[in-house]
Amino acid sequence: MHKKLKTHKGYYLSLLTILVLGLLLTFLATPDFILQVIIILVTIFFYVFWGILHHLLNHELTPRIMIEYMLIGLLGISILFFAHMGGLI
Amino acid sequence: MKEFLHHFFLPRHTNNYRAGILHHKILLSFILFFFSAGFLMSYLRTNFPSVLGTFTDISIQQLLLLTNEKRQENGLPSLTINDNLSQAALSKASDMLGKDYWAHNSPDGTPPWVFIRGAGYNYIYAGENLARGFNNAPDVINAWMASEAHRKNMLSSNYQNVGFAVSTGKLSGEDTVLVVEFLGSTTYAPPAVAKEPEKPATVAVVPGSPATVAKIDTETLGAQKADSSKPKVIVANSLPQVKPLVNSQTLSLVSIRLIMFMFILAFILDMMIVERKKVIRFVGHNLDHLFLFSLVLLIIIILARGVII
Repeated sequence: MHKKLKTHKGYYLSLLTILVLGLLLTFLATPDFILQVIIILVTIFFYVFWGILHHLLNHELTPRIMIEYMLIGLLGISILFFAHMGGLI
Repeated sequence: MKEFLHHFFLPRHTNNYRAGILHHKILLSFILFFFSAGFLMSYLRTNFPSVLGTFTDISIQQLLLLTNEKRQENGLPSLTINDNLSQAALSKASDMLGKDYWAHNSPDGTPPWVFIRGAGYNYIYAGENLARGFNNAPDVINAWMASEAHRKNMLSSNYQNVGFAVSTGKLSGEDTVLVVEFLGSTTYAPPAVAKEPEKPATVAVVPGSPATVAKIDTETLGAQKADSSKPKVIVANSLPQVKPLVNSQTLSLVSIRLIMFMFILAFILDMMIVERKKVIRFVGHNLDHLFLFSLVLLIIIILARGVII
């Protein structure tokens, strides 16, 4: 784990930057809900793109890995959708 | 059962060394579940609000009591409800919902003071606090107290009267609960020293349309006696009076917590066991997915909170 973090320090730092930036912009966009949705979707898109790109450059990128990132991204969106429809957000 | 849980959460030979919950088919099932359950919840909330709905417990009585509590804690006299200010607050809330904006000034530049004067309250000092998206009165008051500008407003010795409106409606297409607080005074004279209220307040709320009114016994609401011996009138809110069988917010929060906990647990166990057993496999990084799940959780925490201006 430590070795992995050390080897791909740049990747993890950039990924964290993207996610923290997404979170910050979502917070700053309050109370514009449409803008928040756009920011969240763009952030998740970058997460999927970054994960796939990282595997393409540093590991072996297989269709399964691509699908996995897309499914996890979609799962994140579906959870937020569910929270919204339930009146939670 | 034990075998199933092992298969579901731990990487082993039966699941090709990847926790079952992280397999594509299972992930897809969860995605479909969340989308379909979301649509179902929306349908039930719209068509059967007594079965599944959101229950917001914000009463004007509670807002007033909590405001006066905070003032008394800071050595300030209590505020009394003023029906003109309450009327002004309701006009402001209706204006925001009608013109679809969330600001102190309306899109055409109308400041809050216009509503106060329009309701017949000739102020010398006046202030406005706004809140939206809260579920109970203590959260509204705590949010205002946590913000320096709002706190200053609530704890100003310039004010003697207060008016509240709690209105439900749509802002930017979203169902929301607005709380408007107008503070004011019509004299320069410093108010009297605070005293403890003699008995708890009682408010009779008339259920129905947003324009319904409720009578309130002002003598019980705070330390100061009302100017008039007549019972004061405050505008009742338009919140649903019937508590739904199931609170949709609680239901979605519990479901999300449970399912996200399952995924986070599976990601961590999968990562640890594969690392320990030195299994070689071609899958995405669990750490990436943990980061994303943390983002989703933080977004829910941030957006589930109410907003004040």
